[in-house]
Amino acid sequence: MKYFIIIIACCTLAAGCITPHAVPLKEGLHSAEDEQQLWRRVQKEQQAIDGSGFLYHEPELENYLNRIVQNLLAHSIAPDFKIQIKVIKDPNLNAFAYPNGVIYIHSGILARMDNEAQLAALLSHEMTHCTHRHSLRVIRSIKDRPAYIAAVQNTLAKISAVQEVARLLGAAGSMAAVSGYTRELESEADQVGLDLMAKANYDSSQALRLFEHLKQEIEVEGIEEPFFFGTHPNVQQRIDNVSDWLAADNQANRAGVKNTAEFQDRLQRVVLANARLDLRLGRFDIAQKTVVKYLKVRPNDARAYYLLGEILRQRDRQADVATAVSYYEKAIALDPSYSEPHKALGLVHYKEGQKQLAKKFFEACLRLSPDTSDKAYIQGYLKNCKFRGEES
Amino acid sequence: MKKLMPLLICLFFLFSCVSAAQERSLKDLPDADFAVDIPDGWWKPEYTGKYLLTKDGPYLQYVLIQKRPLDKAFRYTKKKIRSGMLPQEAAGIIIDELASDRYLMNFSVIENAPASVDGQAGFRILFTYTDKKQSQFKTLYYGFIKADSFYNLRYCAAARHYFEKDIAAFDQIINSFQLAKD
Repeated sequence: MKYFIIIIACCTLAAGCITPHAVPLKEGLHSAEDEQQLWRRVQKEQQAIDGSGFLYHEPELENYLNRIVQNLLAHSIAPDFKIQIKVIKDPNLNAFAYPNGVIYIHSGILARMDNEAQLAALLSHEMTHCTHRHSLRVIRSIKDRPAYIAAVQNTLAKISAVQEVARLLGAAGSMAAVSGYTRELESEADQVGLDLMAKANYDSSQALRLFEHLKQEIEVEGIEEPFFFGTHPNVQQRIDNVSDWLAADNQANRAGVKNTAEFQDRLQRVVLANARLDLRLGRFDIAQKTVVKYLKVRPNDARAYYLLGEILRQRDRQADVATAVSYYEKAIALDPSYSEPHKALGLVHYKEGQKQLAKKFFEACLRLSPDTSDKAYIQGYLKNCKFRGEES
Repeated sequence: MKKLMPLLICLFFLFSCVSAAQERSLKDLPDADFAVDIPDGWWKPEYTGKYLLTKDGPYLQYVLIQKRPLDKAFRYTKKKIRSGMLPQEAAGIIIDELASDRYLMNFSVIENAPASVDGQAGFRILFTYTDKKQSQFKTLYYGFIKADSFYNLRYCAAARHYFEKDIAAFDQIINSFQLAKD
């Protein structure tokens, strides 16, 4: 965290030293040599991301996200700008825009939103970085660009919390994803984004709700890498700014839509997928909270109950075992053909020395899924159960 | 000086060979509580303090042997391997760690099965991944828990050509692996 603060401080200083000049919007998009160079560079970076296997592919979700973008874009200064949204399988709270209109959103930030209006707040902010050509404005205002980019990337590479991002992204992506743009440009993106939300008939007060909600999550969960909300201006400053703008702006559309139901319906899969990513990282509490939230919307989802059981089993607290078992049993009751909870119950009983019970569940697992990926382990357990069956 | 050059070159190669020969055993490495036989043609690069062996250079293939305390945190996952865990559970944590590594693009597990090394019950995972240049690599990873440590032996090679070519050498290393007797 110490280094993260240092980089933010460096970037803030850098931002203070440079004053991004507005790029005249009448200047044709992608017509200047420097902008063409920038686009060529970011396209290479995007190829690395797109070929990495880290993208989350779900056509229905992509269509939904792009539909929201089109709705917002229609009210922007560049309605013909081609914006494309891609989701990265990453549980951290982040989103970033490339100057050519490709916006990457981490599954982690999607999973923590409550409604479409909050999603629109994030998208309109990121879109504004593209339509207002923030990257180009930053680059044109820096005299020694290679040195600046190298300095940013070297500094990023030293920070463990952001190394992963810097590794995958190139210089342009790292700047957008981690250090953000300048204070002035981030504020502009927030303000223009609010305006777009209101014009597209979204409840613009949800932008404030999103900021507050995520700030609370960051504090409660002790999350160290809230890039999107950690960039300058800092999160509290942004909350204050948005609050002031909403209070002063008569155009703010508080009666606009939130579209909660469709949002929850469209995002259900990515929410559960993100909980699995949190579980993979051993972030048990966040994963559990996400699945509990998911179950409020989908109370009869066997996979969610199984995942809850896995979170508790893998957390490895003796007090959780009985609850984990009850979740697995619930998953089986909801979907008797689902093999995973049978296997998990087999493991729980096997470890507790209840070999006959374990045998029953392992056999059920193999019956339901004869080619399960860990078949060899299960066959080994069954062999031990036969040898040691008398122990139970 | 011209007459001296061939002599100097010969001496250089002679010392190089002696140096390489000294690295042909992992039995005498400090702090190691294990021993393995090194297959013909394999060597330990001098620039690393790790128990790393290669034949044609680490980018093409390497074998890495590690012993890590159970309480040592992994780089990505906060999960920990614990004494008394089933090999399958330990394998699950290793897969979680590998899958979270942004260096390992397009990570995919081909096989995850029980295995034993020097009589210790453990696991073996076969997986593939690509690097930033889109080159594909294949890794065979053995792991087991012994007392307060997690041991792992992995063989990683370019998926094309090299992996199959040198897998027998890795089998030889696995079969020769011996923990020091208490």
